[in-house]
Amino acid sequence: MGVYIALSPLLILVLGGCGLMLAEAFGRFSEDGGDEGPSSELSLGSAVCLLAAALMAMGLWIKGPETIEGFQKVAPYLILDRFTLFFTMVTCLGGALASLLAGGYLPEHKLDRGEFYSLLMFSTIGCVVLAASGDLLSLFLGLETMSLGVYALTGFRRGSTRSTEAALKYFLLGSFAAALLLYGGALLYGATGHTDLVGIGKALAADQGLPWPMVIFGFAMILVGLAFKVSAVPFHMWAPDAYEGAPTPAMTFMAVAVKSAAFAMMLRLLVHSFSSPGFTSWGSGWPPVLAFLAVLSMTVANLVAGRQESVKRMLAYSSVAHAGYVLVGVVSMTRLGDEAQASVLLYLLAYTVSTAGALGSLILIGSRGAEAVSYEDLAGIGRRHPAAALAMSFFLLSLAGVPPSAGFFAKMYVFRGAIGAGYYWLAIIGLLNSVLGAYYYLRVMVYMYMREPAPGAPVAVPMRSGLVTAALVLSALFVIVLGVLPGSGLSMALQAVARG
Amino acid sequence: MVATYAPIVLLFLLASVVTMVMFAAGHFLGPKNPTAEKMMPFECGADSAGAKHTKLSVKFYLTAILFVVFDIEAIFVYPWAVTFREQGWVGFVTMLSFLAVLVVGLIYCWKKGALEWER
Repeated sequence: MGVYIALSPLLILVLGGCGLMLAEAFGRFSEDGGDEGPSSELSLGSAVCLLAAALMAMGLWIKGPETIEGFQKVAPYLILDRFTLFFTMVTCLGGALASLLAGGYLPEHKLDRGEFYSLLMFSTIGCVVLAASGDLLSLFLGLETMSLGVYALTGFRRGSTRSTEAALKYFLLGSFAAALLLYGGALLYGATGHTDLVGIGKALAADQGLPWPMVIFGFAMILVGLAFKVSAVPFHMWAPDAYEGAPTPAMTFMAVAVKSAAFAMMLRLLVHSFSSPGFTSWGSGWPPVLAFLAVLSMTVANLVAGRQESVKRMLAYSSVAHAGYVLVGVVSMTRLGDEAQASVLLYLLAYTVSTAGALGSLILIGSRGAEAVSYEDLAGIGRRHPAAALAMSFFLLSLAGVPPSAGFFAKMYVFRGAIGAGYYWLAIIGLLNSVLGAYYYLRVMVYMYMREPAPGAPVAVPMRSGLVTAALVLSALFVIVLGVLPGSGLSMALQAVARG
Repeated sequence: MVATYAPIVLLFLLASVVTMVMFAAGHFLGPKNPTAEKMMPFECGADSAGAKHTKLSVKFYLTAILFVVFDIEAIFVYPWAVTFREQGWVGFVTMLSFLAVLVVGLIYCWKKGALEWER
């Protein structure tokens, strides 16, 4: 029985997702997505389910997952530890924010079909499974559950060629990455005879007559697959197009929950399977590869983001840049261990709430037929709609890392970890990039407060939606709490990564 | 390892050689008498009309996908049925919950009208 309690966040999501699907099929919602659309009820329903799962994870956290009888029954397929619970909370929070945003966005832009919410919930199940899995088989199942839902969400605006193009691109490159991961996993299994991550790690550490070319080829495949999934440069090409073409709530989910789950998968693989000294040394292991990816991601994404004309595309590149900052933390992990890993977890949480907030503000500023996309659309919003502009500025400052916001402390801990690990040059490049990043975040504010729309240009009118406002308030709360009490967030992350 | 897979490699080689020989024999030995009539494209005896890439109704894909879903279900049920007695109640309830999820999917398809051909 105990194992069902330990699995309850997942079970809540499964039952909730199926329930929403049936509610949407049986409900009397108009087919063409008029004003009687299903969104407000279903959005609230899915947000409640996702937050309930997050709260259940919180409850398990407080009780301590290791005290629950039978929690190891499903190991190693699902490892129900604090690490899993942390990512359950992060991804469920991201999913809940995305579904609240969708509740405002979809009816406003005549996309009001109820499938969005059940797809989103099923995707979140995939995210949670991905973070929990300690075996290559369940890892791949989680990855596909997560991705399939998101492919459909990306192409949700069926009539638009942009959206379809984005979905197709995302689908092809996503499946390509999944195939690479699968191939790498197959080679590792062939070399070591294990599919569970800890078993692979032990076999690699023992090194009794392993076919090393096979191991290294498999490992390289896995690294490339992971880099695709977290959209690190130079494997980021799909990200801006997929993000820009997707409806903004779907982009929120992709940038937030999917990316966090991909990093959870990366941490599990690196910590459980590839943590033997041969793999973590600078000379022969993965640290230089990931450090290279981190430097490229930060620099290229920040430089390109500054040149974008569309705020949505700028935020897509900013999400690539943030993957670079997170990778700095992952690299420091080899020398600093838990402390650096905890900074990665905290960064993902801070990034989740800040990005969801920024995209939510962008949704709030647009209205039917006039989605706010470009910098010009935002001109003069500060004078006409001070509340929306304030929300946007608040979350952008957190993304830029201005104290005392969640983003500042997240960045600080990651860079402190890099310095503590002796990677001074990584910390310096990261700091320089944060300055570079501040340019395009501040540029949005310059447009909002200091420019007026060109005469004759369409003027953006913010929409009104209680659901969007609720999502913004929720994420603002997290940004403020993490900004005021960063220590408690960090100690929670430290608990999450401690090997129990 | 080589000895284990040698028969398979031999089979591949044999299969490709036989196929190539057959095609080559047909190409070189067969009598050829091309007339204008013979060179015309044909579809089951009727004159072909329209573009090569016609749009297929999405219904075909829908049916194919539904087929795959329930086909996979059968794949999972078979091994379960073979070891039914050994698995006891735990196995029974597990399979029941798996089928329940699929039934939810079926009900969803039904209500959404995916099972109706004429719409």
